[in-house]
Amino acid sequence: MSKPKVAFFDFACCEGCQLQVANIGELLIDVLDIIQVVEFREVMSEKWDGEFDVAFVEGSITDEHAVKRIKKIRERSKILVALGSCATIGGVNGMKNSFQLEEVGRYVYGEFYKFFPTIHTKAVHQVVKVDYFINGCPIYIPEFVTVLKSILQGIPYYVPEYPVCVECKLNENVCMYDRGLTCMGPVTKAGCNSWCINNGNICYGCRGLTINPNIEGFKEVLKNYKIPEDFLMKKIDMYNKCKELDKQ
Amino acid sequence: MKIEQYRIIEKSKFDDFINSLITFSKVVAPVYKGFKNYIFQEIKSAEQVSLKYIPTIIPPKKYFMPQRETILQFDVNNELKVEPIVEYENLVLFGVHTCDIAGIKCLNMVLSDKPKDTAYLIRKKHITIIGLECNDYCDEYASCSFVGAHIPTTGYDLMFTDLGDYFIVHIHSSKGTDIIEKTGIFKPAKDNNIEELRNLRAQKLKIFNNEVPTERRYLPDLFDRSFNASVWKELEQKCLSCGNCTAVCPTCYCFDIKDDVDLTLKVGERYRIWFSCQLDPFAKVAGGIDFRKERSARQRHRFYRKFRYHIDRYGMVFCTGCGRCSRTCMAKINLKEVLTSLIKESEAKIWRKWL
Repeated sequence: MSKPKVAFFDFACCEGCQLQVANIGELLIDVLDIIQVVEFREVMSEKWDGEFDVAFVEGSITDEHAVKRIKKIRERSKILVALGSCATIGGVNGMKNSFQLEEVGRYVYGEFYKFFPTIHTKAVHQVVKVDYFINGCPIYIPEFVTVLKSILQGIPYYVPEYPVCVECKLNENVCMYDRGLTCMGPVTKAGCNSWCINNGNICYGCRGLTINPNIEGFKEVLKNYKIPEDFLMKKIDMYNKCKELDKQ
Repeated sequence: MKIEQYRIIEKSKFDDFINSLITFSKVVAPVYKGFKNYIFQEIKSAEQVSLKYIPTIIPPKKYFMPQRETILQFDVNNELKVEPIVEYENLVLFGVHTCDIAGIKCLNMVLSDKPKDTAYLIRKKHITIIGLECNDYCDEYASCSFVGAHIPTTGYDLMFTDLGDYFIVHIHSSKGTDIIEKTGIFKPAKDNNIEELRNLRAQKLKIFNNEVPTERRYLPDLFDRSFNASVWKELEQKCLSCGNCTAVCPTCYCFDIKDDVDLTLKVGERYRIWFSCQLDPFAKVAGGIDFRKERSARQRHRFYRKFRYHIDRYGMVFCTGCGRCSRTCMAKINLKEVLTSLIKESEAKIWRKWL
């Protein structure tokens, strides 16, 4: 049986999630034993003009050109995977949606902004069908490998429907709130094995809000810790702004 | 108190004891992690041990029922090969408070009930428990007196009690005797030592007072009256469903089972991982139906699992009074306060009935 043909593409993003894949380390040998990478701009110059078994897409969709391109990629791919926060939830690019498009255009391109038409930032699934989601900014390699294995086995991958606190507690970390810091763990989707907190950092909420967050309850909690509500809403908006498009 | 079951060790010799213990066994003890947090972890020298500590983030349950535990390995390369796995190692747990010992007793009860959890029972045989009695409350969250876990009873191999210049040590098993003999530091207890222990216990009766305004024996009645109490609805607003309360509970034992394969997709393992009734996917079944969709129903379930259901099944209260759930809850859901509110609400109901 020939190895599945895998490609990596990027849209509006920092390409950091692809860099994570390129930096996969020793696992690379085993991974390349089971897949054939046919296109991956960050690490190789070859291109592929046929069909893809699996396409990993990093980045969010921010202009009409990108809409056309992602639709073409979708047509050519049997399985499409959203890779990283920009692709899965819009990521930091979503902050653009807090402003008028004209205002954003002028800020970046000055008086020539009309030559650079733009649209509201969208996550990939808000434009085309996505089969698998790998959250994170950047992605967490063990989760990437788990998803890859799920794809090859033909089984679904479920992003955990509970907050980062669950994994953090199992890792027996000292709670960031005990240290006097504000952490997004209580309302952020798990699956990263509390990667940041294990390494002494707070959770920035890069994986997006958990499916059923108790935002009102969280506001009360922040009140107890004397953290301004506005501060929390800004932290949520940093990664979750595109979520509003899901509701429409 | 049979005097021949007791030994004493001077505090100046304590470090020698721990260091000697380390020479022949892996030793786990409470270690300070900063910001009033302690955890049980392997120690390499006596200095690391915190003798005065509030309950650790996760109870010593993690050594009996690890957070992630491989239960079988499989290989489908030629024909299906399946091998059950039991992960265990010889371990001495030092400094376990009586609340955590009570928690292990609860787990023993459930996991030796049918169908027996063989891996747990094998692992348990390899663990030696050296207790450390609390002479005073650890902090305001504890309710160990309410559930009767503040005085050592059973469930340990050795029990250390601080009596000023020395520890008096109760030997409670042959594993405990082995440690006493191997380390060779202990002296036989004399009558005055036993007398001092008696005095301490008498003193403790004054310090430890029932923390909840009811008695243990009234719990079944209280909870039978409280299924529709408004207290649960208040928790709906507060609870973040982060699962912290269940992760840190010494008597929670719910788990999920998952498979993981290596990159050949032919060889892999099945493992179990702690899971929690507080989390969204816990009670979800086929068709997308969720038996406990509301956070209030999940919190109520937690309380009934601690104070009602297991009384019928095992005749035991499944709360050890360690206070961890209240200490860790960011939303400040406090076990003692919830019980007190339930009692108040239920009393009002009873009065109405009489009028």
